[in-house]
Amino acid sequence: MRRRAKAFGLCVLVAFLAIAGRLFYLQVIEGDSFYRLTTDSIVHTDLLPAVRGQIRDRKGRVLATMRPSYNLYVTPRLLTSEAFARLRTILGMNGDEAIDVWERVQGTPVADGAGGASGAGGASGTRDKERPVLLAEDISREAMAAIETGLEIPGVKIVSVPRRSYPNGSVGAHVLGFMNEVSGDELRTKKDEGYRAGDLIGRSGIERQWEGYLRGRTGFQKIVVDRRGLPKPDLKEISDGPTSRAAVPGNHVVLTLDLEAQKIADRALRGVPAGAAVVMDVDTGRVLALVSKPDFDPNELSGHLTPDAEQRLLTDRYRPLRDKTLSETYYPGSTFKAVGALAALEDRLVAPEERVKCHGSFEIGRRHFLCTKTHGSVGLHDAVVQSCNVYFYELGARPGMMDRLAKFGADMGLGAPTGLGLNGEEGGFLPTEEWYREQKRLNPKSEGFQVGQALNAVIGQGSTRVTLMQMATMYAAIANGGKLWLPQIVDHVEAPDGEVVEEFAPRVRRELSVSQESLAFVRDALVGVVNDPKGTAFKARSKEIEVAGKTGTAQIHGRRDAQGGYENATHAWFVGFAPAGRPRIALAVLVEHGGHGGDVAAPIAVEIVNNYFETVEPDQKNAPHTVPLRRRGGEVVSASEDSPRPTARKAEPLGEAPPMHLDFGKPDEPESPPAEEPPR
Amino acid sequence: MKIASWRKVRFRFDWTLTMSALLVVALGLLNLWSAVHDRQSHLFTHQISWLALGMLIFVGIATLDYRLISRLSYVFYGVGLALLVGVLAFGKMVGGGRRWFDLGSFHVQPSELMQVLTVLALGKYFNDSPALEGRSWRHLAMPVLIVSFPAMLIAKQPDFGTAFLILAIFFTIMLTARLKLKTLAAIAGMAVIAAFPIYQHLLHEYQRKRVEAFFNPTSEGAYQTRQALNAIGSGRFLGKGFMQGTQIRLRKFPALETDFPFAVWAEEWGFIGCFVVLVAYSFLILWVIKIASEARDRFGATVCVGVAAMLFWHVAINVGMVSGLIPVVGVTLPLISYGGSSLLTTMVALGVVMNVSVRRYSY
Repeated sequence: MRRRAKAFGLCVLVAFLAIAGRLFYLQVIEGDSFYRLTTDSIVHTDLLPAVRGQIRDRKGRVLATMRPSYNLYVTPRLLTSEAFARLRTILGMNGDEAIDVWERVQGTPVADGAGGASGAGGASGTRDKERPVLLAEDISREAMAAIETGLEIPGVKIVSVPRRSYPNGSVGAHVLGFMNEVSGDELRTKKDEGYRAGDLIGRSGIERQWEGYLRGRTGFQKIVVDRRGLPKPDLKEISDGPTSRAAVPGNHVVLTLDLEAQKIADRALRGVPAGAAVVMDVDTGRVLALVSKPDFDPNELSGHLTPDAEQRLLTDRYRPLRDKTLSETYYPGSTFKAVGALAALEDRLVAPEERVKCHGSFEIGRRHFLCTKTHGSVGLHDAVVQSCNVYFYELGARPGMMDRLAKFGADMGLGAPTGLGLNGEEGGFLPTEEWYREQKRLNPKSEGFQVGQALNAVIGQGSTRVTLMQMATMYAAIANGGKLWLPQIVDHVEAPDGEVVEEFAPRVRRELSVSQESLAFVRDALVGVVNDPKGTAFKARSKEIEVAGKTGTAQIHGRRDAQGGYENATHAWFVGFAPAGRPRIALAVLVEHGGHGGDVAAPIAVEIVNNYFETVEPDQKNAPHTVPLRRRGGEVVSASEDSPRPTARKAEPLGEAPPMHLDFGKPDEPESPPAEEPPR
Repeated sequence: MKIASWRKVRFRFDWTLTMSALLVVALGLLNLWSAVHDRQSHLFTHQISWLALGMLIFVGIATLDYRLISRLSYVFYGVGLALLVGVLAFGKMVGGGRRWFDLGSFHVQPSELMQVLTVLALGKYFNDSPALEGRSWRHLAMPVLIVSFPAMLIAKQPDFGTAFLILAIFFTIMLTARLKLKTLAAIAGMAVIAAFPIYQHLLHEYQRKRVEAFFNPTSEGAYQTRQALNAIGSGRFLGKGFMQGTQIRLRKFPALETDFPFAVWAEEWGFIGCFVVLVAYSFLILWVIKIASEARDRFGATVCVGVAAMLFWHVAINVGMVSGLIPVVGVTLPLISYGGSSLLTTMVALGVVMNVSVRRYSY
């Protein structure tokens, strides 16, 4: 007994020594690393949210700002079902919503680990009935008043939080964009940028692209807390590093956009199911208005989007979330003839006075390429004014015209993004002969390069794709004498105290490599489009302001299944500038499946011009002409330009009414290449 | 003659045993105050009342007639078994188990007391059993039965920590009794084989999780272990100081005062403090073993070894679990953990030891 008792005692000592060894390892050898690990977790970091900067228009009018909103919190332990019933009535919840909310409030276990921004510090695996839970976001002022004053509801707390607000509703929605909560993936990839669960992040438009400027920097305050998150000032400070940092408010982003111009363009597109418009300052490349229809209300997308509404937005056939000025490409149709005309003049393919007889169609082999009507004998000027396809088919049939168009088009900014830097801008596409041959190599069934493709390309069909922004920039360059601007949407960035942090001067991408004479000739023709009685947009002309531009009626391919429906109708284009004599603004208008450019798009463009010079820049309305412009009859209006037209023009007799649209669907006529996505 | 011996008894009051136990109690109270003072200070008051009651019981049992205890051992044991059956039928359902009698303002956990009662019954059996040398299979039947009933009833609550403790105490007693080594090895082997089906079929989900958490410390169930390790490690050599601990007592921590007081202690008093606690326990346990080896008869020796084993296994399992050496089981730290059942049981056990100690030279 005695011997075994001694052995037992020895075992006890050995066991306790082993335990002491373990403790020595934990506390002395690894102690410092455990100590470091623990100092953070009991120090609760209160986040001090930064106020997001405003977005303003060029005159300082607020387009996006923060407004106070009120969130309703309840303490689950104190919330009785009677009190909840009263809240339900005040907030106008329906039965299902109320059940969901009640379950969320009473039944959600509090997540383990370091809680989110609203977490009260202590890590805990059990539900905490004392911790307030968000019951409703952004309640109305009436509801707030009813809860705060009329009724004494225990366990209810109203917290004021700033919320993003867009005071003009859907006006400029695609430019401004919207915000919503960061996703789990973004939290991982943007870890270094300090995003936390529950933070909002810009999702599109300026909100997304200028997120870094607008956001500001979240501040923090560290306090030692107990297990309920209550401050414990009697505990020694155990954290390293700074204990607080003030929040830095975000900067204001001031746009080149003009709210009035934006509203004018927005209103001009009323009644259009889907369309877009760009208005640009021709002297600076600054974007004044950028409208895409249909649009959305960013206030709705930034917070209260119901699943139903979201589904509607995503499945809408008119694609309201898509910015049709930048992230959508279209066939330019006849608006592309400006490129063909400049190419012909520069490469001296034709003399301006050279005339072509238009019989209403153009034959190559067995194929017939139709014109809009029978124009009779037309020169280059008339061909632009009346949009004669046959004249341009003649040009297109010249050897190498396809590549020539690609070269001049690229020079004028087509085929590549303009560099506005918004909404994932598309670059469009300019086909070349080589590209068609490449297609044949990739797919032996395709026909490779044929003259027919050049004929299509010269009238802006085939595989040519452009964005509205590209067209506006190009026509601005034609208007201003060859300056291709880098379009600009942000004018400057302002610190919250008003100090300008960064300013963006207009930047020229390049001077067009075409002569002033050629530009003047084309400008003259564009004036004729609207103001010549035979011009395609004559019916839409303005009595007050001389507008110049080109209509376009772009054929649609690849929707053969849709039998004659909406999606088979042509896109209506108008691209131009005004006033013709002293251009101030360039604009591009497109109505998706709207029909004829002169009938549908031109009136919208003219309305924008009229209202713009009525309200935004009334002093420019009657400004003296400064840009060289040829006038029919050889008379030069501009004092500075002195080169009369070589040949006097006479009005040509009108031919008989032609078929309105080209029809590429007939079997004996050239198939347009299927509407494959052009390479980006 | 008898009176003289009584006088002797009074002079032989075992101060070493008493003072070493009180030292541990004092450290425990200090720790409890730090853990609960800011939000549950009533627990401290309760513990003081339990302690007062415990001391009365300690002295009471110490002065009882030694032979009376020995004679009534089986009766006590029977009452204990009845309580265990009762708790299964009428106990309070808490966290999926019936372990307590709900007596209004406080709970009683009979499984704690059963440890001592089983030790008494074993002592009685060994005392009365004629075979003094080389116990073997035949002699094992009764002790195994004596241990099996409470162990199974407690496991059924379910409280595997305490059930395991009773078995561990039993093995320790068998070791010090003159068991053949061959028999011992066989028992140990059977225990290992039995452990596997118990883990697979009898353990509850949360219990398996604890075991898995032990082998995979990053898993979700390892929250308690992880926090306890953080607390202990962050105490470093000298500790953060009295009432300066933050890791455990400032957050929601289930069973903080009952199962994890050592983590609070380790954080505030560091390795030095832990060493002091271990030394105090070692001293107490070794002293009880010393009393066992000097006991007058087999009953006293067996009971003292049992109590020493009980103290030892509690401390080893509790500290081992808190410091991440073994999976989390609900085993208290004797004299330090909060709770009446645990404290009173230990006081009863020490009272019996005192009784043995006082009378080791008498008669």
